[in-house]
Amino acid sequence: MQSNSEKQEIAEFVGISDEMELFSDIPKKFRKTDLKISPGISEYEVISMALSTGGLNRGPDMINFLGNGIYDRVVPSTVDSIIGRSEFLTAYTPYQAEMSQGALQSLFEYQTYMAELTGMDISNSSMYDGFSTLGEAVRMAHRINEKRDILIPANIYDDKLKVIESYLYGLPVRLVRYSVDSKSGFINIEDIQSKITDDTSAIVVEMPNALGIIDENVPKIQQIRKNALIIAYVDPVSLGMLAPPGDYGADIVAAEGQQLGIHMNFGGPTLGILSFRKDYVRKSPGRIIGETVDSNGKRAYVMTLQTREQHIRREKATSNICTNQALMAIAATVYLGTVGPSGLRKIAETTYINSRKLKEKLGGLKIAEKQQLTGKPFSDVLVSFRKDVNGLQEFLSTRGINGGLALSRLSSGAASDVRNGAFFSTTEKTTDGAIAKLAEALEVF
Amino acid sequence: MAYHEAVYDEPLIFEYRSGTTYKLPGLEGKQKIDLPENLLRKELNLPEVSEYDVVRHYTRLSQMNYSVDLGIYPLGSCTMKFNPKYADAIASSRQFSEMHPLQLQSETQGELRILYELQEYLKAISDMDAVTLQPLAGAQGEYTGILITRKYFEVKGELDSRTDVLIPDSAHGTNPASAAMAGFNVIEIPSSENGTVNLDALKAALSEHTAAFMITNPNTLGIFEDHIEEIAKMVHDAGALLYYDGANFNGILGVTSPGIMGFDIVHFNLHKTFATPHGSGGPGAGPVGVKSRLKDFLPVPVVGKEGDRYFLDYGAKHTIGKVSSYTGSFMVLLRAWAYITYHGSDGLRRNTVNAVLNTNYIRKRLEGRFSIPYKTLKKHEVVISTENTGIRALDAAKYLIDQGVHAPTIYFPLIVHEAMMIEPTETVSKQDLDRFVDALIESSKLSPEELKNHPVNLPVSRPDEVKAARDMKVRWDGSTYGN
Repeated sequence: MQSNSEKQEIAEFVGISDEMELFSDIPKKFRKTDLKISPGISEYEVISMALSTGGLNRGPDMINFLGNGIYDRVVPSTVDSIIGRSEFLTAYTPYQAEMSQGALQSLFEYQTYMAELTGMDISNSSMYDGFSTLGEAVRMAHRINEKRDILIPANIYDDKLKVIESYLYGLPVRLVRYSVDSKSGFINIEDIQSKITDDTSAIVVEMPNALGIIDENVPKIQQIRKNALIIAYVDPVSLGMLAPPGDYGADIVAAEGQQLGIHMNFGGPTLGILSFRKDYVRKSPGRIIGETVDSNGKRAYVMTLQTREQHIRREKATSNICTNQALMAIAATVYLGTVGPSGLRKIAETTYINSRKLKEKLGGLKIAEKQQLTGKPFSDVLVSFRKDVNGLQEFLSTRGINGGLALSRLSSGAASDVRNGAFFSTTEKTTDGAIAKLAEALEVF
Repeated sequence: MAYHEAVYDEPLIFEYRSGTTYKLPGLEGKQKIDLPENLLRKELNLPEVSEYDVVRHYTRLSQMNYSVDLGIYPLGSCTMKFNPKYADAIASSRQFSEMHPLQLQSETQGELRILYELQEYLKAISDMDAVTLQPLAGAQGEYTGILITRKYFEVKGELDSRTDVLIPDSAHGTNPASAAMAGFNVIEIPSSENGTVNLDALKAALSEHTAAFMITNPNTLGIFEDHIEEIAKMVHDAGALLYYDGANFNGILGVTSPGIMGFDIVHFNLHKTFATPHGSGGPGAGPVGVKSRLKDFLPVPVVGKEGDRYFLDYGAKHTIGKVSSYTGSFMVLLRAWAYITYHGSDGLRRNTVNAVLNTNYIRKRLEGRFSIPYKTLKKHEVVISTENTGIRALDAAKYLIDQGVHAPTIYFPLIVHEAMMIEPTETVSKQDLDRFVDALIESSKLSPEELKNHPVNLPVSRPDEVKAARDMKVRWDGSTYGN
């Protein structure tokens, strides 16, 4: 901002006497006469106003059992400290590599972490969120083999399905749903097998799946895939303990990365993770960072393979992604650096053990059905009740607990025999005391 | 003022040798996990690094990164204005960051109120009738707008014939990419001799096959499309929709609006116009506004209000569905809300005036030194060509880096040879404007050979991009290029 005398000086130099001369090219009838927004206020006032509005929220101090995609995990203090550094926070896309080695190297590290975690050759340097990343993964599969059918689980979350459909709108592709066994919660291999044809582009599998289950049938897909690609949608924290999708033949992996050091943020910003086999790199969407040397032979990092991108290929680009989630990718990188591989394993195992405890405790309640899914949950525990669960979340809320999300709210195509199912999700933060309180509350539901 | 960025021979995190020191809650020791062996992870080849090494490593990397907080960043079309700290202070509140998106609406009234007010702000600013905050970036906003276009014609029963989207040759690359993603043919409209849309070419291209015309105004040359009324009429007469790319909104905000100009759909780039920090390339946010006849096509949910209660409205009859998981990039939206609330109607307009004033100051100072194609008066940015000076835009950019200036956008728009696209924004002093212009003029006096040596004050100089693409190395594998 200029001082008034400087503004005057600039205006004189430019040759205008009235600032509206700067807008003389805008037809008079198009001038905006009113902007129905209050006049500006001070910093003190805007902060007070925001915090009092935030005071209308209830949640941070409640016991949390909500999950199903966004998880209440420990965010190490290192993460907020590093991504809060203005050198990362207030920079733009690293278009000038010399000035941006810090971001470029961090993102190169992110790509390495994600490739290793998923067991894939390559990761790009981030996508928007899990759902749209899965949408892009499906588009990518179609670009690779130009086939028509995409097989997806019948019980995929409705919102995820809607996003995939948005990403397919306009493509000659159709979604074919395959069934899920409602006793075990595993995908139905025979059904998938019967639906694979020469025109199958890809099979989408989820691990854990939409019922929260670690799906023991997923690794069998590679035996029946024929020429179809396998797209795996995974929980990245579970990979601290579970086999990476690369082990079971996945070609493309999509994931929501929020739980790698990103606060819940009411669902945004989050982080879309996309990894894939090397052969498919030229068909892949999004930005990729590569290592090279500078003019003195020194190691350097640049944005690479840009000939796929929209500023060069325009309408022939492999995606329209320009701004991605670089800062969130850096958060995930700092997170993994801080907790390390042994930490990630511990987080995954604690989550799993907590979910087993929770399932056992709630499954034993009078109000719970005798018959629960036999598959083992990783984090999202689906409990089947003898009573309608609509209203359960409201009931628990009055007792200071967040959780009890009805299965029907997430997936209309759910395994139909799971009656009155509601989810309770665990993380490494879940305590025995919290589980006991939840069980106590459910006794009187 | 020469600029010296910190220079470290900083290894990759994978090359560090120290043990993890971070403490986590939960289980101790190795657990027995009762799952089939083939489902369990055998190895996880990631580095064990101490907490203090992690902090030192990324602190050093951050010091090898230029940012708005370090100085002028005149990257054209990216609108790199100062990111106010009050917005960060607000966004660090647990009351916002520790909220789960699947909580009850009765528990999230604060979040919903912010979203609702931001929708109202953006409606007032753009003169559109309804806004969705769901898209997670400008390009996703474009895609959303194009999906709305597609669905609109599908419902009208004209989708089979509405196959084309028209886009000027000066457009951002995301425009054709978004239109093609949604299955439309992209037809490029040439610019006229004064840098605006060639009306004859537009007329010739418009037909019953046209679904939409996508433009930004001011355009990427910083020029206001003064025939916009005629353009809107021609497009609407053809039965097509007029799409507004909001990337250049900073040049007109408060002075005119896409709604007044006759646009049907607009996307906003909150990380540009509304100063949310860009995080080295994201997250951004790309809300979309539409006129009332397209309201029913917006993705669900939008935030509604009944009395004092805010709620998620899933009622849109012809909704395109969803483009992202929840209600948008909340923390980015919150910062934009703070920016608009702080500046208010008076401040927003003043910012635009100052941004345009600064641009024209640069334009005037560079006149006669560099060729400045097309019409004189500029809005938010000015595009120059280095062609007449005998130096390349790339070389001038690398020289500027040594002077503590982030280089302008280069080689865009594609219709100007050796283009440099300069956007100062309102948050730069006259002193910095002069420093920038002086440095640019100085570069034009150097020989191409002298320029080839720059930058010298940075950790690396002129990375080999061809090698990066040819010998593709996109993850650490224990080896390293270079010394």
